[in-house]
Amino acid sequence: MDQNLTLLRLASSLAAHATARQGLVAENVAHADTPGYRARDLAGFAETLDAGPGFTPQTTRPGHLDFGADPRGFEAQEIAAFGAETPNGNSVSLEDQMIRAAETRQSHELALGVYRKTMDILRAGIGRAR
Amino acid sequence: MNEIAKTMAAAASGMAAQAARLRLSSENIANADTPGYRRKLVSFEETLAGDARAVATGPVRLDQSELGRVHDPNHPLAGADGYYDGSNVDMMVEIADAREANRSYEANLRMFEQARQMAGSLLDLLRR
Repeated sequence: MDQNLTLLRLASSLAAHATARQGLVAENVAHADTPGYRARDLAGFAETLDAGPGFTPQTTRPGHLDFGADPRGFEAQEIAAFGAETPNGNSVSLEDQMIRAAETRQSHELALGVYRKTMDILRAGIGRAR
Repeated sequence: MNEIAKTMAAAASGMAAQAARLRLSSENIANADTPGYRRKLVSFEETLAGDARAVATGPVRLDQSELGRVHDPNHPLAGADGYYDGSNVDMMVEIADAREANRSYEANLRMFEQARQMAGSLLDLLRR
């Protein structure tokens, strides 16, 4: 049971990460023609998860589970696609942003899929499988 | 959900800014043959729309480059030398500008659409 709840938390973290990332991609696209704007993106979810949350709960037994990534801990950083820099200092490449948008879409779908399946398993557990 | 609203606000501001740019570009093209017309320009600036770092258009400025001199002695505005001041609109520049605005507008529209779909699939989780 605990395992499943961790899975739910992990899935919602991934969904939050994808949504936050989508927000940054939309900002980048909105600023595709703003002079001096630097494109920003989040670090990948796996890296964020590996880096650990801002605080780590104490685990006094091997069975203790730690928290998933903290959605508030996602930090935007400047990214530069090769050759995207224009003379007015703008570093947004629309093609690059479209790829990033597709990635966020995919991981959001993945997160929601895992969430849904986990809920199905929980439902089956209480005898209300569809 | 707040994050999705932020995404939509950013995309909508981008669409509004690009639409303003497209409008000015078409005004310039419409006035390409108006004597004494200076092409209108608009700059893009960063603003905050709620939480989102949105884009806004700055004040409309007039291009101060030299007006084109047109030789047409029959024209009512022509001076003694047979020349009059045309506009400083360069069709090629305007069309390139309009194309770029169009491309950026579409990109913003796709971002908006994607945010909408993401919100929809999130809400689908509740609908079962």
